[in-house]
Amino acid sequence: MTDTQVAPEMWAPATRDGAAAEYIAAPSLTFWQDVRKRLWANKPAMLGLGFIILLVLAAIFGPMLSRHTYFEQNLKLSNVPPLFQTYEVTDSTGATTRFFFNSGNLNLYEVTPSGEVAGLLRPAKKDLIKKQQQFKFGDKQVVLDTAKQQLSFADGAALTPSGWQWNMSNLLGTDQLGRDVLARQLYGARISLTVAFVATLVNFFIGVFYGGLAGYLGGKADTIMMRIVEVISTIPLTLYVILIMVVFNSGFLSVVLAIGSVYWVDMARIVRGQILTLKQQDYVAAARTMGASTPRILVRHLLPNSVGPILVTLTMLIPSAIFIESFMSFIGLGVTPPEASWGTLTSEAVETLRAYPYQLFFPAAAISLAMFAFNFLGDGLRDALDPRLRA
Amino acid sequence: MTAYVVQRLLLMLVTLFAIITLTFFLMHAVPGGPFTSEKMLQPEIQAALNAKYHLDDPLWLQYLTYLRGVLSLDLGPSFKYAGMSVNEIIAEGLPVTMKTGALALICVVALGVPLGIVAALNRNRWPDTLVMVIATIGVAVPSYVIATVALYIFALRLGWVPTFGLDDWRGYFLPVFALSGFWISFIARLARSSLLETLQQDYMMTAKAKGLKRGTVLFKHGLRNSLIPVVTVLGPVVANLLTGSFVIEQIFALPGIGRHFVLSITNRDYTAIMGITIFYAAVLMVMIFIVDMLYLVLDPRIKYRADPK
Repeated sequence: MTDTQVAPEMWAPATRDGAAAEYIAAPSLTFWQDVRKRLWANKPAMLGLGFIILLVLAAIFGPMLSRHTYFEQNLKLSNVPPLFQTYEVTDSTGATTRFFFNSGNLNLYEVTPSGEVAGLLRPAKKDLIKKQQQFKFGDKQVVLDTAKQQLSFADGAALTPSGWQWNMSNLLGTDQLGRDVLARQLYGARISLTVAFVATLVNFFIGVFYGGLAGYLGGKADTIMMRIVEVISTIPLTLYVILIMVVFNSGFLSVVLAIGSVYWVDMARIVRGQILTLKQQDYVAAARTMGASTPRILVRHLLPNSVGPILVTLTMLIPSAIFIESFMSFIGLGVTPPEASWGTLTSEAVETLRAYPYQLFFPAAAISLAMFAFNFLGDGLRDALDPRLRA
Repeated sequence: MTAYVVQRLLLMLVTLFAIITLTFFLMHAVPGGPFTSEKMLQPEIQAALNAKYHLDDPLWLQYLTYLRGVLSLDLGPSFKYAGMSVNEIIAEGLPVTMKTGALALICVVALGVPLGIVAALNRNRWPDTLVMVIATIGVAVPSYVIATVALYIFALRLGWVPTFGLDDWRGYFLPVFALSGFWISFIARLARSSLLETLQQDYMMTAKAKGLKRGTVLFKHGLRNSLIPVVTVLGPVVANLLTGSFVIEQIFALPGIGRHFVLSITNRDYTAIMGITIFYAAVLMVMIFIVDMLYLVLDPRIKYRADPK
């Protein structure tokens, strides 16, 4: 056994000081200050919150700042990629033409020196049997073999690419109708987020009202109201959203209506549970003794105290609303074209997946990142609001 | 116990009745009849069609007729496929949907639970991080994106599996994967957090202190208790696997009920929409009921009792 070294001053008796024993080292925080502090310390949640704020700002201001609109079509510039390999041909007069080959639709597009797409290059001659197209640049000739997807000069020497260029006129490329993907993406964010927020708000009001009333009234009214909720929750909600969409025809308002009118059941359950426990508290009895009316007790005393679980449910409802909306749009029941949401953008990209797989990337990434952000924020909020996890 | 089962069954009947009523009136609130199309029909033909399908009856009579039909398990004729009844449409699609759905459910349980256990037992080490990263991605990426990306990579680029249909056994891989991806992730996360919570219980320490083998402690005391939350979500999982098939069957061109449902929506085939909705709802309710009963068998602490009136 080794001896444990203890410094001699450690053996000195502690001073007895009543005041020091009562000293509280940590600053006293209200509940919400504590929640804010703990949420701050949660990195994924703050990252999520930051991303959501960025997304909302982009959705509000993006379409205003964009050069393009979400509906403006340019069929000559359809399916242009965001990044392409350029070729350069200089004729004998010294005039250089820069262009790129779009392997998806086998077209050549002219590119300006600053990287903007100037337009489609028309072949001088098309040989459909040999699957070749001839292009004239001044006195130089370039042959495009559409079967092998190769470019060569008239003498057979292959063209070598001069470098990569980011598409400066459409930063994320264009879709099959030649619409700017970035503008549609921003506009889609606007629609998807609006649907999600409004539908969640509708759910919030119905759920809180219904659940609050059931919990507060209690007894027979509660039993009947909760039986109704039980019946509704047995029905697969997706089916009902679809049915409502069929009846009211697709469009922005009916998406909101369909999602808003169906998904309040969870909220109602949670609010009811909270109210049931809270209404036994003495301060409710005190309020009632002082003559406060039922609505006043509900709104002033019971609901503010159950705001934590409500908030968590709300943040979790938003991503599921985005999910449902994109699901509906994907099977053709969402917003009507030319309007765009993340769901319609994804389903449009899926149509052209074989030729232009990269078009799926942006809408899919937008949905997934938004999902991450809201889920992280929701998890963080739940942890921050849970008093058991309080440090 | 028996009283509880009876009460549940009664509630299911009430729910089914509510669903039938609601769907019926929703579908009849749609403007335009089932035979309104660009091609104007002769008034006589229109009248004859209406008479054949009892569409000239007052609404309440149509409702009663429909209700009687549903009670005798007859969901009526399809308005868009001449000569096909809704029953036949369902019978045609059911095997495909059931097969992919059952395989997906097996995948969810057989992959999700072990992944969660591995993650929980290796808490904060690389297997845990790996599982959690995959699970987080799986929960955030929509199933149709997983489906199309998988289709592009494995069927179009690599050619390992057919792009559509189920004629080949390899055709099942992608639909089942896309269908179950979200729920594998979800169950893995749930199993992980539930097992972590169970591992901290006092009875786990007691079991260890008694000198039981590590395997016995883990499987008999830990797993059995931590799997209860997993079993509770199986009901909603089944429901979502079935409704998830709408999109998956569309993408992989599988002739299941989900595809028929989406088709009947685009065709505005109202009897088919009604019939398939009611069928789905009935199947789901039975599934959720079965899962609840299973729950009862697994956890002897739970005693279901009918509500005292």
